[in-house]
Amino acid sequence: MANGGDLTTKVLTSGTGEKSIGDVVRADLILVELTMPSLPRAVCAPTRILSSGNAACRLYMVVLLLLGWTAAAQAVRYGVDLNGVPVTELVRPGTRSVVLFFAASDCPISNRYLPEMARLRDEFADRGVQFWQVYPNPGDTVTVVRQHRAQFTDLPDIVVDTDQALVRMAHATVTPEAAVFVRAGNTLHEVYRGRIDDRYVDLGSERPRALRHDLENAIASVLANKSVPQPGGPPVGCTIVTRRP
Amino acid sequence: MKLSRLVGVVVLGGVVFETIRVTHMFVQAASARVTYTRQVAPILYKNCTTCHHEGGAGPFSLMTYSDAQRWGQQMLRVTQSRYMPPWLPEPGYGDFADSRRLSDAELKLIQEWIITGMAQGDLADAPAPPQYDATWQLGTPDLVLKVTRPYTLVSSGTDVFRNFVLPYPLKQSHYIRALEIRPGVPQVVHHANLLIDRTGAFRRAHTDDWQDGIAGMELAVDAGSTFDPESHFLFWKPDTPVLMEPEGMPWRLDPGNDLILNMHLKPSGKTETMQAEIGLYFTDKPPAKHPMLLQLEDDAALDIPAGDKNFVVQDEMKLPVAVNVLGVYPHAHYLGKDLQGYAILPSGEKKWLIWIRNWDIDRQSVYRYRQPVFLPKGTVLHMRYTYDNSVDNIHNPNDPPIRVKAGNRSVDEMGHLWLQVLPANYPQDGPDPRLLLEQAWMENKLRKDPRNVDAMFNLAGAYMGEGHDQAAIATYRRELAINANDPRALTALGAAFENAGDSRQAAEAYEKAISLSGEQLDARFDLGRMELNHDDPRDAEQQFRAILEREPDDAGAHSGLGLALLKEQKPDAAQGEFEKALALNPQDATALDGSAQLAISSGQPGQAVDLLTRAIKQDSDNAELREHLAMAYAQLGRFGDAADQLKTAAAETPNDPTVHALLSQVLDTTGQLAAAILEQQKALHLDANDADGWNNLGVLEAREGKIIEAREAFEHALRLAPDHAQARANLAQLQAKP
Repeated sequence: MANGGDLTTKVLTSGTGEKSIGDVVRADLILVELTMPSLPRAVCAPTRILSSGNAACRLYMVVLLLLGWTAAAQAVRYGVDLNGVPVTELVRPGTRSVVLFFAASDCPISNRYLPEMARLRDEFADRGVQFWQVYPNPGDTVTVVRQHRAQFTDLPDIVVDTDQALVRMAHATVTPEAAVFVRAGNTLHEVYRGRIDDRYVDLGSERPRALRHDLENAIASVLANKSVPQPGGPPVGCTIVTRRP
Repeated sequence: MKLSRLVGVVVLGGVVFETIRVTHMFVQAASARVTYTRQVAPILYKNCTTCHHEGGAGPFSLMTYSDAQRWGQQMLRVTQSRYMPPWLPEPGYGDFADSRRLSDAELKLIQEWIITGMAQGDLADAPAPPQYDATWQLGTPDLVLKVTRPYTLVSSGTDVFRNFVLPYPLKQSHYIRALEIRPGVPQVVHHANLLIDRTGAFRRAHTDDWQDGIAGMELAVDAGSTFDPESHFLFWKPDTPVLMEPEGMPWRLDPGNDLILNMHLKPSGKTETMQAEIGLYFTDKPPAKHPMLLQLEDDAALDIPAGDKNFVVQDEMKLPVAVNVLGVYPHAHYLGKDLQGYAILPSGEKKWLIWIRNWDIDRQSVYRYRQPVFLPKGTVLHMRYTYDNSVDNIHNPNDPPIRVKAGNRSVDEMGHLWLQVLPANYPQDGPDPRLLLEQAWMENKLRKDPRNVDAMFNLAGAYMGEGHDQAAIATYRRELAINANDPRALTALGAAFENAGDSRQAAEAYEKAISLSGEQLDARFDLGRMELNHDDPRDAEQQFRAILEREPDDAGAHSGLGLALLKEQKPDAAQGEFEKALALNPQDATALDGSAQLAISSGQPGQAVDLLTRAIKQDSDNAELREHLAMAYAQLGRFGDAADQLKTAAAETPNDPTVHALLSQVLDTTGQLAAAILEQQKALHLDANDADGWNNLGVLEAREGKIIEAREAFEHALRLAPDHAQARANLAQLQAKP
């Protein structure tokens, strides 16, 4: 397995290559995937990064522990990265806040917000804010999202939300829409969910430029430990397509 | 499950029709279910897929069932809010062709289909999907113009307005019956306007950077020095890449013209590189109908205080001739709110032309009437636009709002109502009715802004076209009182003096224009032409040669030089110049005519007929060309054809005695003596001092047996010219008869 190391790295760190673990763990994780594909999605509360809450997750952890894996944080599965490898951790060392940006490759408003999201990333990435671009729609397969990434440069870490676990976790409804989570111990607590700014008032009703930068204000408030202002209007874009079981 | 999804939609959209939907759900459950194949696909194919297909201007495709399913929730919202299909005019205020407004029944079908679960239905019911291919829709164009350099649109930010210059590369004029604009990346183009720059002035004003496109929302393009009003809306919007003009209404491109593609672009999220192409389709048939664009505006009154929610700008203009309105193009920027155009007929009746209650620059369009709207002479056109410069206007580009005036940046404002009109019910022997419209338009502009020099220039041009030379001279002088050294106004003043018969002042004005600007080739040309008309071919030759030093490819200067040389009795040199002119522009009527005159004088009337027939195709109203053609026919012995040409010429210039005199001679040759007498009488009625003419009338009358009348005619000739030998001889012969 010449590329096995790469694969494992992705599993644990979701594409940044910061961590690495041994071959044995890598193989074992794949085994868990195959045998218990729906467990983390169905039962584990997705807002937890350390799965110590309910019986099923404990069971999942036990399985992992039995297989010799010591890092319990990797138990929850959020979707897959662009290699098709499950993403199991949304935070990194030093992460204070996680921002999910729900996107759709075929939604024009979502695409128009990509440069604005890049701007926010530049502003906050080195201040402990981890950005994820989440593709929740069934049509946005790994292949489609790869093509999308090739067209739009400068995209952040990407999750293809194959089970819409992140949609449920954030209560997202449309693309583009953002959710901000604060890390509190081992859990992520959602403090903001909604529009990025007020440029779009409705479909077909658009300001020449945004006047109120709701998401930016929310993130800044999180970092300043202030109460987080909520969005001043509904998110405008393309309804997230519900996955059929 | 369905109900909860429904509630979700309602909350999201903030739209209040949940009770209606629920009711319908149950009603539908009882009746046949709405399906994609039976009801929805036909609506999409008729109203949506012209943009929403792969590679189309829409951001996604709606060609298949799964596409429709994917976008169902959006379709529901945007059709209910009538954001889509884009259609701004209020129904009932102007009956427009290609209206894309969905009917209430169609809206209801879409709604029911979505809330009942977006059923596919029986595939056998599905209509055949329309075909959209990526090639030119009317086949290979006769000419394709491409923007010189690719343009890269930024990935984000406010909308971009850019003007790309596409020089017309041909040496011949062409009539254009259709055009297709392929913007390169249609998804980022809101709309585009194609303008004709007759003089290339815009390109010359941006020598260094025109190839990269020039920023700006609107352009004022120099119309040139001849009366050639803008006549067509060359407007691209996402669902109409092809513009076909109605039969008999092509527009024209001449050598040296530029097309300017004015594009409104919307950043997509990624940088887009685009290079627009324009396909032109020619026709040989010159226009049979001459429409004209009229504009209502009051830019000078556009001065909107910050925060004003209801700022009104109005304009009105009385029609000096009856017209049929073919289309309307309302235009404002981001502060426009309520745009009204209407007409008050002489009867007092109010006729709506258009009403847009909720203006949106992004969805602007030209609207063409299903049937032309007839407006009698004396109708008053009205424009009433309301602007919202408050924070409540989400389109407001200024935050906080500031005082806004007219201008071509997106933070400035505009208020224009353009109409495409076709003059109707005007007297055939009067001036071109478009001149009267131009006059009314420009007088209206000057009423609003008495120092508008462009309006003065255009007004003077209209006066001149109508034959009001003194009014033209006064108006040019009024312009020159503001801009004393404007070479263009001086050149035009020269032409007005020339028309008025004052060649001394004409030459002065031309020479002053030439001394002010070496670029003023029009002045040289006019001066040269005037010198030709005054049998001063040597000076004329100098003018044309001076033009050719600067512009060696100026076909008109070559043909002018040819005429000068012809008058200097240098036929070979003249022929050379005519040939050069025709090599540059095979339709140069002057060169065709000059070559034909040479052919007639060298005994080749057949060749002359060919040349003149070509010339008349270009300039069918030119009586002189028809006179020459009649001479060629006469040389060939085709007197009937000669008479036909002269009759047409006489209809064109009923006040030209020469035509009638020539016609009289041709009619005499074919034995139509009575008609010949009548024409000669007409000629003499127009010019009673023509001794030859009286003599000729006498001859005709004598042959007709009208001895008394013949004698009077000869005597009349002799009173005018006592030495007229033929008249004297004829009189003697008449008296010798029994």
